[in-house]
Amino acid sequence: MAFLLRRLGFYFAALFVALTLNFLIPRLMPGDPATRILLALRGKLKEDQIEAVRKTYGFHGSLWDQYVEYLWRLAHGDFGVSTVNFPEPTSSLLFYSAGWTLFLVGTATVISFGIGIAMGIWSAWRRGGFFDTVFTPINVMLNAFTPAVVALLLWYAFTMEWAIFPLGRAHDMNLTPGFDWETVTSVAWHAVLPVASIVIVSFGAWHLGMRNTMINLLNEDFVILAKAKGLSDRRIRNRYVARNAILPQITSLALSIGYVLGGAFITEVVFNYPGLGKFTLNAIQARDYSFIQAQLVLLTLSVLIANLASDVLNVILDPRLRSQRSV
Amino acid sequence: MDAPSQREVMAELGVKPRARWLGRLPGWAQLFVTNRKGMFGLAILAVFVLLAALAPLITPYDPYRRAGKPHVQPGVEHFLGTTRQGKDNFSQLLEGGRASLTVGFVAGLSATLIGLAVGISAAYFGGKTDEVLTFFVNVSLVLPALPLIIVLASFIEEASPTVIGLVLALTGWGWSARTIRTQTLALKTREFVLAAELMGESKWRIIVMEILPNMSSFVVGGFVLATIYGILAEAALEFIGLGSPNSVTWGTMLYWAMRAQALQTGAWYEIWPPAIAIMLTGAALVMVNFAVDEITNPQLAATRRVGPIRRFLKRRKRSADFV
Repeated sequence: MAFLLRRLGFYFAALFVALTLNFLIPRLMPGDPATRILLALRGKLKEDQIEAVRKTYGFHGSLWDQYVEYLWRLAHGDFGVSTVNFPEPTSSLLFYSAGWTLFLVGTATVISFGIGIAMGIWSAWRRGGFFDTVFTPINVMLNAFTPAVVALLLWYAFTMEWAIFPLGRAHDMNLTPGFDWETVTSVAWHAVLPVASIVIVSFGAWHLGMRNTMINLLNEDFVILAKAKGLSDRRIRNRYVARNAILPQITSLALSIGYVLGGAFITEVVFNYPGLGKFTLNAIQARDYSFIQAQLVLLTLSVLIANLASDVLNVILDPRLRSQRSV
Repeated sequence: MDAPSQREVMAELGVKPRARWLGRLPGWAQLFVTNRKGMFGLAILAVFVLLAALAPLITPYDPYRRAGKPHVQPGVEHFLGTTRQGKDNFSQLLEGGRASLTVGFVAGLSATLIGLAVGISAAYFGGKTDEVLTFFVNVSLVLPALPLIIVLASFIEEASPTVIGLVLALTGWGWSARTIRTQTLALKTREFVLAAELMGESKWRIIVMEILPNMSSFVVGGFVLATIYGILAEAALEFIGLGSPNSVTWGTMLYWAMRAQALQTGAWYEIWPPAIAIMLTGAALVMVNFAVDEITNPQLAATRRVGPIRRFLKRRKRSADFV
């Protein structure tokens, strides 16, 4: 318990650092967002209107006042007003796109975890065999391919060359989303290529991690004992070795689920998917600072929560941690 | 049944006796040179570095200027055709390799050096220094790096390759700092460090002369990983248009190819060369990392021999259960 409390304290401190960075970066760069709007509307605003704009975007008063107001707003879930879609609050677009990203990247993460772990178990079990010597290097190399190339190639091959899958978007254009069969199939069909392009570049890491942990376990005494007892290979592999080797993988799965909200910038751009990555990029091009900052806050929060979750999981899964005093 | 001679067993297992010149190399170099994956990766990297270094001698065109009509097919005039703007693709590829490899290596190297400095000082000096430094390491690990870089790059506007490399180095040192710290903690209590302390050597001398040489494999492994990350992240940033569009790197080449709809208009020669270059470099670095992993962890290296040994035992009708 003391361990978890200490971690909790650390995460709060980290959150604080992240928020402060997030607050400082735009203010240290030349030209704050409010000035940019003012420049765009040059001559059309009166003195008091200018003040009002500055106030709306939290660029009013001394740096310290701004900081306090910024934290106060965040604490109330107020992500500010979109600079681009003017009176619209940032949070509406943020949560809309977060939903799609959660679906897209979440699905991809789970699939690539499954594939990677299964292949990792097999190549560790038959280490040095055909499957291991061929697929381990290939999968890890796929992991070092840039998603830009993979996504572009998939997109070109399956939407242009052989028009099997739709060009982009999350569902058919003339479809009112609802929970019916039509929507579900359309969404699933549109997600195939984006999910595939994320999975291709990410499952190699799971494969290698699982394989290497398992190989280190295979020479332990308990495995030899299990063999000597005459247990079946399958039972030793799945219940004895894989079960122990999967613990560190599960904690990193928890971590990568935290990164899901980071979006898949490249995949979402290539497939025109309405996720956080694509809208963040749009926001960057349009200089919609409140959206960029809100996205970073959201992501930081989810990563920190995922870290906490992985700590809790660790304590539950690994009895040694429960009694450990220091970390 | 006669026991087979050592030579017979070696022949059947496919083990060759080592060449004499190998014996003169230091231990780690012997392990690396005999590692097929590592040497293969190193060879690919060497080709790229050589091509990048000799770029002006190999191609007559200026990568920054128009060299012909837009989208000329590959041929005698232009080895890899021209881009939509009529720039020579091959000379862009070589020039891009210069920039991308330099940024990747420099970012990887600086991240490793920062990580090394922070990790060693935290572990060796301990106490308050350790607490403060570890806090920053953990913060840098917990904060999402790529989105943070994207935000930074967006505020910087049209970041040049140098700036991108700098940002990547500043955000990418967390992992090596953590591994190095753990490793130093383990080394710190060993007898040879204690002996050096008792001899009254200065702390910095102990760090540089005693501790550092004993974790070179971790440093090299971390450097390779950081370089892969640097090259991929730079390409990604430039691909989504956050880099300076005027610089020539593999990332900006992909960016322009996508802008020019190279695939849709059949200009495959504009998009494939940088794509393949990035993939090959990534693959080569992964190979090198495999080799470094196998040198550090003998259990992994042993897997290379497991397959042949199993087959050997099966041929002799022995149980392969305990291999």
